[in-house]
Amino acid sequence: MPLECCWPKEQIAPGDCPYIPPGKEHLLFDRKQRFLSCCLECPRLLNDLGLPAQETGNLSEVFPYAIEEIIQLRARLQDQQNLLESRGREIKFLHEVSLVLQTSVDMDEVIAMALTAITAGQGFGLNRAILLLVDRSRLHLKGYFAVGPRHREDAVHIWKELEDHDLTLREMAQRFFEQKMATERERFRDLLEILSVPLAAEDHPFVQTLNSQLSRHIPDLWQEPGIPLAQRQALGVAELVMVPLVSKNRRIGLLLADNIVNSCQITGEDLQSLETFALPMAFAIERAALYERLQQELVRAQETNQRLQQQQETIVRMEKMALVGNIASNIAHSIRNPLTIIGGFARTLIRSTPADDPKRRHIESIVREARRLEDVLQEVLVHSESLHPTLDLWDVNQLVAGVYAGLKEDLEMAGVESHLELTPALPQVKLDYKKIGYCLRALFSNLLERLPAGGQATLSTRAGEGDVEITFRDNGPPLDAATLEATRDLAPGSAVTGSHLGLSLCARILSAHHAGFFVESTATGTVFTIRLATAQGGTP
Amino acid sequence: MTRLLVVDDEQDIRYLYAAELTDEGYQVDTAGSGAEASRLLLEKEYDLLVLDIQMRGESGLQLLQKVVRDRRALPVILCTAFNCYKDDFSSWLADAYVVKSSDLTELKTEVRRVLAKHKH
Repeated sequence: MPLECCWPKEQIAPGDCPYIPPGKEHLLFDRKQRFLSCCLECPRLLNDLGLPAQETGNLSEVFPYAIEEIIQLRARLQDQQNLLESRGREIKFLHEVSLVLQTSVDMDEVIAMALTAITAGQGFGLNRAILLLVDRSRLHLKGYFAVGPRHREDAVHIWKELEDHDLTLREMAQRFFEQKMATERERFRDLLEILSVPLAAEDHPFVQTLNSQLSRHIPDLWQEPGIPLAQRQALGVAELVMVPLVSKNRRIGLLLADNIVNSCQITGEDLQSLETFALPMAFAIERAALYERLQQELVRAQETNQRLQQQQETIVRMEKMALVGNIASNIAHSIRNPLTIIGGFARTLIRSTPADDPKRRHIESIVREARRLEDVLQEVLVHSESLHPTLDLWDVNQLVAGVYAGLKEDLEMAGVESHLELTPALPQVKLDYKKIGYCLRALFSNLLERLPAGGQATLSTRAGEGDVEITFRDNGPPLDAATLEATRDLAPGSAVTGSHLGLSLCARILSAHHAGFFVESTATGTVFTIRLATAQGGTP
Repeated sequence: MTRLLVVDDEQDIRYLYAAELTDEGYQVDTAGSGAEASRLLLEKEYDLLVLDIQMRGESGLQLLQKVVRDRRALPVILCTAFNCYKDDFSSWLADAYVVKSSDLTELKTEVRRVLAKHKH
């Protein structure tokens, strides 16, 4: 029985085989290809194979063709399976990474996850990843973080650690974020600093890649123009990939990756995978950065709000104070006029009353009491104003000389020998002229109360270290305990009264000026010292 | 003789200041309001004006501005029961600022000082 199929023939005529499609006429002359392309699927071959062996002829001639094809198909199938598994792992890994990238707003967590993914075996499996971020305030592409072995020697240690723990990618990233972020940052500090580039350096390959928004594979870094020697040496590799991180056309940063340890060639697929990964990574980094800024703004807004509340409270308090001040001022006006009239006329009368007239003592009492009331009035006013000093730069000598001139007559009348010793060219001091003037008068009043006729008093000024010193020195009797207490009394509304009120107010005013107030009182005399910080020297 | 005009809406203050300043050897006229002072200033020549600030009607600071505007040569001492007007810019137009006191030494000293300054 003749064979139906054309497989034994080296050449066939058109029409001998109905399964040769148009355009494949070369199969008419190529037995092997015709057998593999057409005969293997031809029903006639099956019919021929059903014939007895002596009728099928030499089938062994074409059998090797079939074996060879099967082997090749198996190999291709294995490749496809490997690729499929690799893509499956990649999808699983990308899903895992994406979950973190999509949900985390912590910049360090995002970066830990992304860079671990690039360097982990379950991830892209590159040896090292370096992240540079755009620092908009300083106009720099700044080395921000790196993951992987710093040098080849580190790799053994890192791999051993990973083997020991047998972690999933996510666990690895989490562990890295929680335990190693700070130390890793420190470990790569110098490399990150060296790799930082100003954005203005547009010829630098890092900036070029960022601006062009196109990834680059540099096969030999030493042949690459534009990268300074220090950066090449610091990187310590020949082959490198650079992937720009861009989010909605905004430049976020640049990702560098290499195989510093195993020196495996970086493939096109590696670069393609990194490019795919760079998109969600850039987006996550930008979102985390925005969130960080939002948090900072929130803290700032809270602080501003707190300050505003404090200011509102201060305003309310000041309004109350102003009200108290107004009331005090109006009362003072109402009382001061009658007091001026009573005391003034009493003084007029006293001049025309002979010393031996019994009425003179009565009139003297009126003068004295009117003066005392005026002093109390003045203290009430100073007290109401003392809480808010109006600070300005003043020459202390001018202030001291002014007060001394106003009181010199009183000192003379009391029979006190006084001296004024001013050191010239003192530095200026920031003070409330009116209130410090009041303090000096309060100290004079105390001095007049204590010193007997014939007593001596010296008022002096001098420059200290960062301050100006005013000293009252007298040889009168020492201060009693109540007076000393008054010089230390700083509590508003305290129980200090009478002639001590002036010293207490004085201490309070000086405290508000952050000035030093020191009292030294012994049997040989008393020294009051005021130290006012100079304008250059710090306080007040 | 040096002529002074004391302006204060408190009658007893006017009496007191007039008596004390007359004793010092000045010829003293008094006015109880800004309007009366303005009239006197038009009628007579004065060497110095002692002026209260808070008065009914025209205030001392308003009168001071008028005096400075119309009669630049006339020195003015503000004499008031208030400390606070010292911080008011318009009070700085005056030659001196004295807070009222039963002890008129400061007022008399300032009168002497301001007159001496203006004689020169």
